[in-house]
Amino acid sequence: MLELKDVHLKRNGKEILKGLNAKFDDGRIYAILGNNGVGKSTLAYIIMGLESYRDHSGDLLFNGQRINHLNVTERARLGITLVWQEPARFDGLTIKEYLTLGGRKKFEDVELLETLGIVGLSSEYLNRTVDNSLSGGERKRVELASILLLKPRLVVLDEPDSGIDIMSTQMIRKILKKLKSKGSTLIVITHREEIAKMSDEAYLMCDGKFLEYGGVDGVISFYRSRCDSCNHVNRPEEGELND
Amino acid sequence: MIETNYSKEFEALAQYYEKSGGDVSKLIDKKVVSIIVSGDKIIGRNTLPGVKVEAEQIENGVKIFIDIADGMNIENPIHLCTGYLKPEGTQTVLIDTRVGKNSKVKFLSHCVFPNGKKFLHRMISNVEVDEGGQLSYEDVHFHSEDGGVIVEAFYNARLFKNAKYNNVFHLTKTRVGKLKVAMKVDLQESSSAYLESKVYEKKDDVVEITEELNLNGSFSSGIAKTIVFSTDNSSAKIINKAYGNAPYSKGHIECNEIVKGDGVKVGTIPELYVINEKAELTHEASIGRINLKQLETLMAKGLSEEEATELIIRGMLK
Repeated sequence: MLELKDVHLKRNGKEILKGLNAKFDDGRIYAILGNNGVGKSTLAYIIMGLESYRDHSGDLLFNGQRINHLNVTERARLGITLVWQEPARFDGLTIKEYLTLGGRKKFEDVELLETLGIVGLSSEYLNRTVDNSLSGGERKRVELASILLLKPRLVVLDEPDSGIDIMSTQMIRKILKKLKSKGSTLIVITHREEIAKMSDEAYLMCDGKFLEYGGVDGVISFYRSRCDSCNHVNRPEEGELND
Repeated sequence: MIETNYSKEFEALAQYYEKSGGDVSKLIDKKVVSIIVSGDKIIGRNTLPGVKVEAEQIENGVKIFIDIADGMNIENPIHLCTGYLKPEGTQTVLIDTRVGKNSKVKFLSHCVFPNGKKFLHRMISNVEVDEGGQLSYEDVHFHSEDGGVIVEAFYNARLFKNAKYNNVFHLTKTRVGKLKVAMKVDLQESSSAYLESKVYEKKDDVVEITEELNLNGSFSSGIAKTIVFSTDNSSAKIINKAYGNAPYSKGHIECNEIVKGDGVKVGTIPELYVINEKAELTHEASIGRINLKQLETLMAKGLSEEEATELIIRGMLK
């Protein structure tokens, strides 16, 4: 599905991503773990091809096709999408207009309402606007509803659980399961263990590199044993990563 | 109701009135106060108890007096339709409105100039809202695609104690031509106002908007907001002003100008004057392309940049 080959990114002369290699296979869930500031969101933006993140080196292959040159729309049309940690807000657009992309996607109201129900929003929300009148959690739920309707082939979810109350972890798990059951590949950036544990595999990031990769339990154990007690802040001493 | 001599003129006007978003059935509904102006004539009118409407013909236009008696709550919005169907000419519309004590009224005004090639529409609205009164005025314009329409719209309002006033001007469905909007409100004690202008300009359209809040009474408050979407070779100059003249008065001015095209020339000038040290004034302004995160959020769902821009603008200019 998606392959990263030696992906590097520099900002202001400083290397942010330091040679990422990874493979994400069809229909599986991958967790990306790591402390704040290690480059997880940057990786998400590079996969989506955001305008300010297209100057990386290394290759991105989607189903064997090099996609470095493709813009966001072109990648989306291949089936790649992204859920931002803090989704944008839109003055004047109703949730219905947002979910149907201004009427370009045709959905029956029944399907829209059912999807809103899955993310815990009532039918009254259809005519609310996707602006500051929604709380952070409500806005996140709308975004998750939009992804469910989109049925992407690959979705990168940047902390889908942030801003949503802890009681709703079950809901996030349900959404991830639903996306997987529809055949989507999921890359989930998360700090929450119960979300990570749904994954088939996990990558642990530190200082712009993948530090560990494998089964979720193993990666979490590694994180606990090494990262919890680590006294550097995303700045491991030379050679430490390879110990 | 519609004057029999003008039924054909009304029909012609009605089709553009609907295109501008108006509901023609309201113009002929006996339960709705309505005034229909075509050129320099009143071609239709309906009033209800508590609403006094007087009109007189003036040179190239009409002068209208509207008086809402004290303590009235006008359930259905008063519908105003102002049109000019000829391609050339001048139209002057003067409207004096008084809203009585504790009365509540809403106006929906549609101005349609669908054939204007060399046409000037000048409108001066003077409003007084008495103690505890509430007035909401929504003015929607529909112009020709020729670019030859010139509109000068001046709104002056005086709000007495505890009065509320909303004044909204929208010109987003057609070309602008040349537009000058000036909204000015004088706020007495504990009164509040909301001013808003939304314009979508294309080709070589020219827009000049001034919104001014005079917070003269203690605890008065106001918001003056302008949103302009400028494309092609259009230009816009926006001035938002607020004067904090009284203690505990609060004012906020905001201007968002979104540009698309190399030939666009836009500028905004915020002016805040605190005359009383206990007044509080704030402002917010942005000029530039559409917010990249909004754009990329929609592009990540498969929309092209053009489609995403159109959808964002559609929402903003609603």
